[in-house]
Amino acid sequence: MSDDDFLRVTDVSKWYGEEQVLHDVSFEMDRGDVTVLIGPSGSGKSTMLRCVNRLAEAQEGSILLDGEEVLSPDLDVDELRREVGMVFQGFNLFAHLTAVGNVALGPRRVLGLSETEARERAEDQLERVGLADQLDSYPAELSGGQQQRVGIARALAMEPKLMLFDEPTSALDPELIGEVLEVMHGLVDEGMTMLVVTHEMSFARAVADEIVFLDDGRVVERGPPEQLFERPEEERTGRFLERIASHD
Amino acid sequence: MASATRPATVRERVAESDRSVGRLLLVAAGALFWGWLAVSWVNRWLGGVLVPVGQPLVPPAAVEATLAGIPVLAAYAADAGFVVEMTPDLARGTWLTVVITGVSLALGFVIAVPLAVTRVYGRFSAWVSLAYTELLRGTPLLAQLFVLYYGLNLASYVPDAVSGVFAREVVWVAILGFTLNGAAYQAEYIRGALESVEEGQITAGRAIGLSKLETIYHVVLPQGLRYAIPSWTNEFVYLIKYSSLAGFITVPELYYRADQIAAETFRYTLIFLVTGVMYLALVLTASKLMVRVEERVAIPGLGAEREE
Ligand SMILES: Nc1ncnc2c1ncn2[C@@H]1O[C@H](COP(=O)(O)OP(=O)(O)O)[C@@H](O)[C@H]1O
Ligand SMILES: [Mg+2]
Repeated sequence: MSDDDFLRVTDVSKWYGEEQVLHDVSFEMDRGDVTVLIGPSGSGKSTMLRCVNRLAEAQEGSILLDGEEVLSPDLDVDELRREVGMVFQGFNLFAHLTAVGNVALGPRRVLGLSETEARERAEDQLERVGLADQLDSYPAELSGGQQQRVGIARALAMEPKLMLFDEPTSALDPELIGEVLEVMHGLVDEGMTMLVVTHEMSFARAVADEIVFLDDGRVVERGPPEQLFERPEEERTGRFLERIASHD
Repeated sequence: MASATRPATVRERVAESDRSVGRLLLVAAGALFWGWLAVSWVNRWLGGVLVPVGQPLVPPAAVEATLAGIPVLAAYAADAGFVVEMTPDLARGTWLTVVITGVSLALGFVIAVPLAVTRVYGRFSAWVSLAYTELLRGTPLLAQLFVLYYGLNLASYVPDAVSGVFAREVVWVAILGFTLNGAAYQAEYIRGALESVEEGQITAGRAIGLSKLETIYHVVLPQGLRYAIPSWTNEFVYLIKYSSLAGFITVPELYYRADQIAAETFRYTLIFLVTGVMYLALVLTASKLMVRVEERVAIPGLGAEREE
């Protein structure tokens, strides 16, 4: 709990109407860390991610990113989102734009690069995720795995300092999961700071610095993967992991 | 799949050639109609280089004489001659109908897009847009034209800068009326299309740092407006026909001209039959044009399974 934590989430609570979906959630990450959020469906994982880039508004608590209070009412939300990339379960690619168009839109319209600069950057990012041969394909012409890689390239093109992944492989056919995980592995190797919601336990085990287990909007247990997977302290954690394992 | 390479049966080949004959006839009729309109207009504009202004492009007597020599058509020769004699008036009326419809539709679109956007994404402004569309859609168009023309006497307020564009200032009043009314209908069609753009598209736009307005402009509108084309075409077609209401505030468009000719000659059936064909030609052109536009801007996978 040093003062120079890169991301520090403290006692975050969030209600949708009367329903409290996050209860005093706390965890922290250093620069370059990979934290994996796990938990049953409806436990608040997506909501937690969305609070970090303010797609959802937490009512209580604090989220410090690089020393700045994300939840401050004075914060420029669009500025925050420029620095925090997000990858969605359903890809959410802009359906009317080609792969290059999807990736170039942010650099062009948000960062203000010229048309050519934005296109060049988009091409570089698509090459980075192995899609140099699909630059001008529309989302509907790409496989799910390719679409998700475009989604990752789109986020990377903003040169974010933190990447949020919300179940990036859950919507994919099993044979397409590998290519997306491979790209994510590459990002880990490059030192990207990543907060990842996933049920890919082997991925979590391989790259996570810390696993946070959420249930019912509460952090039940957190720790390094070896500890959480081999010797969970809470019974609920063990039961959840067993259930996940039996699905694989 | 295998049947894709199977040779066409005789029945299929006949059907296909019937279809191409039909298409050919339609294209020929369209070319004749628009050619006649264009040449009439150029002739007028250049002060009668081909035939004196106000005269038919081909002499009615010649048409009548030619048809009289063809056995099956001889019975209609006199009627044809009469119609040809009326073509200069009909051409002028048709042009005005085209211009009024086109200008009103374009101006209405400019108003309709913000109306639809505020309806879907606004808070207070959503209520203003709702009030506007309900008022304009809930009262008769003819009553709206009467209020603008007789009630507010707007024809006398047309700015000098544009008053000379048309022979009569009242044309601007009609354009204003159709613009305001058409905007309300167009906005309804566009609103429906915007609502069918997936929520995740907006989330993704916001997530890369686009503002709400930027997301609407760069993400929602390009998709929503494409979805809107088929239903929006209805409004285009309706406006062509509703533009005949301008005749009731003395705008000399196609319907007004036809009514005048009929009143003078008592050839009601013939004149309105011919006028009907003109409207049909305009309507068919509009819908063919919009099908072309839709194909032209189509994007793979976009709106494929949401045809309304
Ligand atoms: N936009 C929303 N409005 C109301 N309730 C929501 C909304 N989004 C999520 N919830 C609720 O919040 C809870 C947590 O949801 P979510 O964060 O999506 O969980 P997870 O991602 O872990 O499956 C669920 O009970 C869900 O129904
Ligand atoms: Mg979720």
